[in-house]
Amino acid sequence: MSVDDEKLMTFADGELTGAEHAEIEVALAEDAGLRERLEAHRAMRARLSSAFDGALSEPVPERLLAAAHKPREAEVVDLAARRAAKWSVREWGAMAASVALGLVIGVGTMQQQTRPMFATAAEGLVARGALSQALDTQLASDAAGAVRIGLSFRDQDGDYCRTFDLTQGATSGVACRENETWAIQLMADSSSGGEIRTVGSSPEVISSVEAMISGEPLDATSERAARDANWR
Amino acid sequence: MTSAAEQTRSDIVAMLPRLRRFARALTGSLADADDIVQIAVERALMRIDQFQQGTRLDSWLFSITRNAWIDEARSRTRRGKVFAPAEAGEQVGYGGEAEVHAKLEADDVWSAMRELPTEQREAVALVCVEGLAYREAADALGVPIGTLTSRLARGREALQVMLGGAT
Repeated sequence: MSVDDEKLMTFADGELTGAEHAEIEVALAEDAGLRERLEAHRAMRARLSSAFDGALSEPVPERLLAAAHKPREAEVVDLAARRAAKWSVREWGAMAASVALGLVIGVGTMQQQTRPMFATAAEGLVARGALSQALDTQLASDAAGAVRIGLSFRDQDGDYCRTFDLTQGATSGVACRENETWAIQLMADSSSGGEIRTVGSSPEVISSVEAMISGEPLDATSERAARDANWR
Repeated sequence: MTSAAEQTRSDIVAMLPRLRRFARALTGSLADADDIVQIAVERALMRIDQFQQGTRLDSWLFSITRNAWIDEARSRTRRGKVFAPAEAGEQVGYGGEAEVHAKLEADDVWSAMRELPTEQREAVALVCVEGLAYREAADALGVPIGTLTSRLARGREALQVMLGGAT
């Protein structure tokens, strides 16, 4: 009988059982060529494993040990983890020092014009009014009103997040779906870099998306589908 | 932090050598490997409460490490940077250490692994380098076991071609 290579590999890795295993045993007893191929599989595996084994005997670098021992309180890198925490201006200050204050002032100004776009809730800062509506229904390809929508993606908890850009106020940010509202993860000043702003153009927003995203951003079709499913 | 989480933390520390080995197989670069392990450790600690005691810590950490690598590779591409080629290892570190790095990275097996498509490389790294069973490797990668098996077979076939004989 001929044994295909995938099956032989599976055998070599000890993953075959029962009748299939016995079948290969029989074939091996009769076929020197097959025994040679089996040996090649085992040798390759041994070679692969020994090529990287150095890491097991080398001392672990200090920085990795330090990372593993770092107290959790000091960990503010991953924005996704911040979602459980309540929002406060002081916290933001620590994270995005230069933008926080300007932002809050900016928000205050905007709120005079229309219904407020933000409110504080149990989730921290959440979207309201035009922002909430845009996050709910607007697609990246739609014409921007007060809000322009950028990337939509899923975070590592599987929740939908979207980047947005306020057409007045030079502010861009990221919001994630949480308890039927949009919890603001980050906002940043996007005014630097010229009069025409692209969504998510601020480095803070880009890097927070990179920290939060799981998989690829949604394409236009999945974005529409997610919206039609109400971001659940 | 709960005592269960503290226990997990010390288990993570004990896993560091294996995480480094896995990351080296994934990235083919000593410096990149440690960067990725660091990111993975930070992420694991942030989600330490999500780890279920009694399930396999190694699979969980491999999965986080692998995702850290995918994310890092993607964001570097976006920023227009590529991973440091093996020769760039000479600029990292200094003196004898850099030389050792460069030599190691120039190893046939390291070079051949770097040539493999990501999907095959991660399958090979989990099974052949880390010794995970197919089921565990498939779970760590979030793919069906049949997918894992065929990626592994294709990867090993390509390595066999690149590395010539079995020795």
